[in-house]
Amino acid sequence: MVANPLPLGRLRSRYEDDFTQLRQNFERTGDGSATIRRRSQIVGALLCELWSQLVPGSAQNEIAVVATGGFGRRELFPCSDVDVLFLCANEKVEPAYGDSIRACTQAMWDIGLRASPATRTLRECERVHPDNLEFTVSLLDRRFLAGSRALYAKFETDLLPVVILREWDTIVQNLAEMARARHAKYGNTIFHVEPNVKECPGGLRDYHLAQWLTLLNSMREEKAWPRAAADDFYGTHDEPESAYDFLSAVRCFLHYRAGRDDNTLDWHAQDEAAARSIGLETRGTSDPAYWMRTWYRQARTVYRRASLLIDAVPPPRRSFYKQFRRKRTPVPGTDFFLEDGRLDLAEGARVHDGDSILQIFGLMAKHGYRLSHSTEDRIADALPVLAVQMPEGPFLWNCLREVLLGPWAAHALRTMHALGILELLIPEFHGIDALVIRDTWHRYTVDEHTFHVIDNVHRLRQPQHDWEKRLAGLLPELDRPDLFFLSLLMHDTGKARRNGSHASASVELSESLFARLELDADEREVVRRVIHNHLEMSAAMRRDIFDTETVRAFAEKVATPSQLKMLTLMTYADIGAVSPEALTPWKAESLWQLYMSASNFLDRSVDEIRYHAAADPAFFSRITALIPALPAAPSAASGRPPAASAVHTEELRSFLEGLPQRYLNTRSPEQIASQFRLAQALRDQPIQVAFRPLRQLNEITLVTPDRPGLFADVAGVLSAWGMNIVKADAFSNAAGIIVDTFQFTDTYQTLELNVSEVERFLQNIRDALTHKVSVDHLMRSRNHKPARPRVAVDTRLEFDNDASSHSTLLQIVTQDTPGLLREIALSFTAARCNITVALIDTEGEAAIDVFYLTKGGLKLDDAAQSSLSASLVHRLAQLRS
Amino acid sequence: MQKIEAVIQPSKLDAVKDALLEAGIEGMTILEARGHGRQKGHTEFYRGREYTVDLLPKIKIEMVVRDEMADQAIQAIVSSARTGKIGDGKIFISKIDDAIRIRNDERGPSAL
Repeated sequence: MVANPLPLGRLRSRYEDDFTQLRQNFERTGDGSATIRRRSQIVGALLCELWSQLVPGSAQNEIAVVATGGFGRRELFPCSDVDVLFLCANEKVEPAYGDSIRACTQAMWDIGLRASPATRTLRECERVHPDNLEFTVSLLDRRFLAGSRALYAKFETDLLPVVILREWDTIVQNLAEMARARHAKYGNTIFHVEPNVKECPGGLRDYHLAQWLTLLNSMREEKAWPRAAADDFYGTHDEPESAYDFLSAVRCFLHYRAGRDDNTLDWHAQDEAAARSIGLETRGTSDPAYWMRTWYRQARTVYRRASLLIDAVPPPRRSFYKQFRRKRTPVPGTDFFLEDGRLDLAEGARVHDGDSILQIFGLMAKHGYRLSHSTEDRIADALPVLAVQMPEGPFLWNCLREVLLGPWAAHALRTMHALGILELLIPEFHGIDALVIRDTWHRYTVDEHTFHVIDNVHRLRQPQHDWEKRLAGLLPELDRPDLFFLSLLMHDTGKARRNGSHASASVELSESLFARLELDADEREVVRRVIHNHLEMSAAMRRDIFDTETVRAFAEKVATPSQLKMLTLMTYADIGAVSPEALTPWKAESLWQLYMSASNFLDRSVDEIRYHAAADPAFFSRITALIPALPAAPSAASGRPPAASAVHTEELRSFLEGLPQRYLNTRSPEQIASQFRLAQALRDQPIQVAFRPLRQLNEITLVTPDRPGLFADVAGVLSAWGMNIVKADAFSNAAGIIVDTFQFTDTYQTLELNVSEVERFLQNIRDALTHKVSVDHLMRSRNHKPARPRVAVDTRLEFDNDASSHSTLLQIVTQDTPGLLREIALSFTAARCNITVALIDTEGEAAIDVFYLTKGGLKLDDAAQSSLSASLVHRLAQLRS
Repeated sequence: MQKIEAVIQPSKLDAVKDALLEAGIEGMTILEARGHGRQKGHTEFYRGREYTVDLLPKIKIEMVVRDEMADQAIQAIVSSARTGKIGDGKIFISKIDDAIRIRNDERGPSAL
């Protein structure tokens, strides 16, 4: 029923003029909100004129033209589609107006509008299709344009509220589900290097989602459309209003720039937007990094609002567990309550205590709890007070450890970062806040990348693929996981300094944090080395990983098995955090291959590389500086004592000469100095034993002249006292002085609960080594019947006469059992084998021990190996029976 | 037009890419691959367990070039990927009937 031919030329010309002027206004003012409202006006007027030309007034009783979606919201971006609904009273009306609808749509295209029309009857609008929820959601933003007002009123007042309230659960659940899927697609983060203004978390889609959920919640309460007029409702932006204005300006800019509906803010677009200060209050030229930080701040506001509303969506089914979770439970020792997985600050409680705030983040890291919206606001408001209340020293380190070690560490750290707490504790982190590094690989900003790295390591607790399972095995073997995670947190802070090596800069920045946390020298050195070397494994993987020279060069940089494990896990997590596609199974397998090769190299080359003082004067000086001057005997010639410094320098040189390089790599200068003092004291007491309690283990160090059976005797005494040896190493220098270290768990807490027993324990060791007591007698007095193992480990022995030029390497993998080490050592003694190096390790129920052996000063020949092998197999079998 | 498929050592990728660019070859596809020739893989013992890598990690580079560029491309690959050791890789050449640019339906060598 087309009334008159359409004046398309005039309409097109008018639209083009309006569009040009609109663009010029935007270029001048940068006001995105005004631009999209004005375009809505222009297109609305145009459509009304089109429709009135096509359908005379008297014939419009049974059809209405309705703006929906962005057009309905009066938010028509420069190149967005125009969503229009042709609403028909019933099925008979639709064919009657078919030609008009077609003509109208065609005219829109001819004029230059991208029409997105839909035709529905009233009855069809009553049905909600879960597969086409977008249509129902678009009706939330409906607006009358032309046609029958009566029909529209019936639709808006009588039909739509009933449909929405009836299908409320379906609509809300599906909205939340679609949002979660979209967020997951974008890594659940706003910190993309090249974000999509519309779809990314924190983008316009999230802004609209928040509007829809707020509207739907309000409808549920009032059982009708909200009393506020549509404009007023959408006008109550409050805090997100500036974010909305900013996002609108950016999207307008992108549309004009590309000439189409392109919403990707790539680097070039960022540069241009910054140059033109798009979205900023002050016009001028802005630095792209500063401009992007504004983007992330605005996106964070929008994302936070949307996330809180999504979280508040009621679950689909009421379960007993979920009802249980809804119960409001106080968190002991704090003013917080836990309800439905969210931590809420009690009404009237003040946020003034840094200690309890940090405890809350520890809970978040452990359980994955979230903070309620109001609690987040109150913490953010209290930042100036908290800034002067934040703890330092061991308490701070304990709190930070709780956060870092929790499986939800990244989640807790992100919240701390968003609220400004993280930068209060670690100001060094400020430099990488929303920092964009422009390269073709990194998908996220540096801070977000750091949180992903931490997350990737924690996710190894539940490995999915084979290559993840292998790497996951390294996690429980870490000596100091807390220090490892601290390294991850700090490893890229150096990127804030744009020049030089960021690894070195990160180490420098970490020094002040070490001081605030009051970490000791050993702890600092662990973190320093991990951060300093964190790129070495990736660099080695770009070479031939099957070439022994590549493995050797890499292993020498890493130096110790402990560092190697940390670096392997860090490299895995770091690559995976660059982008979701970066860590392929191919790359993961190469990583594992390099790890194995380097680990074997570190174990098998121990005997080859020995220390010679002349080779490293700097290191030698560092140790000498720690040794206090000692009195020395007068010189026979002069009658005067030689200079103390000359005396202990020579003695130190003699002590270190011939010790494996591994000894120096695994001890700090302070520890070496301490063990040198023990060696000096051998003059007075030929057996020196030192005890050191560590965080979760204990350690004894034995320094004494070497003799057969020494290792077996010490192992026996430890076993007799109920100690479980988890690590040990035994080294000897060129002068035949051994330095053996045993790390063990005190199964019965004997030493921890009875301080006086420490001296008796040490005396027992001395007496055993001087044969004043029998080790066999000590061991018989204990009940050492081995418990049934949970995991059976077969015994494997592997001899290697090529690993060292002067020793035979023997690797033993067997079931860890009390008394095991003693039995192995007794086998060696019985076979007249001398241990030159021992490396003891325990992995769950498996003991993995590596020994470098000689017999008569030479490697073991085939016959000796065969005999020793038979003896070991027999002894180990007897031990287990 | 000819298709060149080269299986090389991963550590040689950067050198080969640079050599190809220098030779005027700009379009190529890089794939992570696994394979072995006569050397039949690698075995490593770690903590009492044997890990056998039957299929070693390799990189496969594919490109389609005009006939007159083929020799240059092959020479660039050979000279930059060679180490002289077993495992250097192989190059395969095949004829291409046609090439089409998706964006604008351009066909033939000009679509390369």
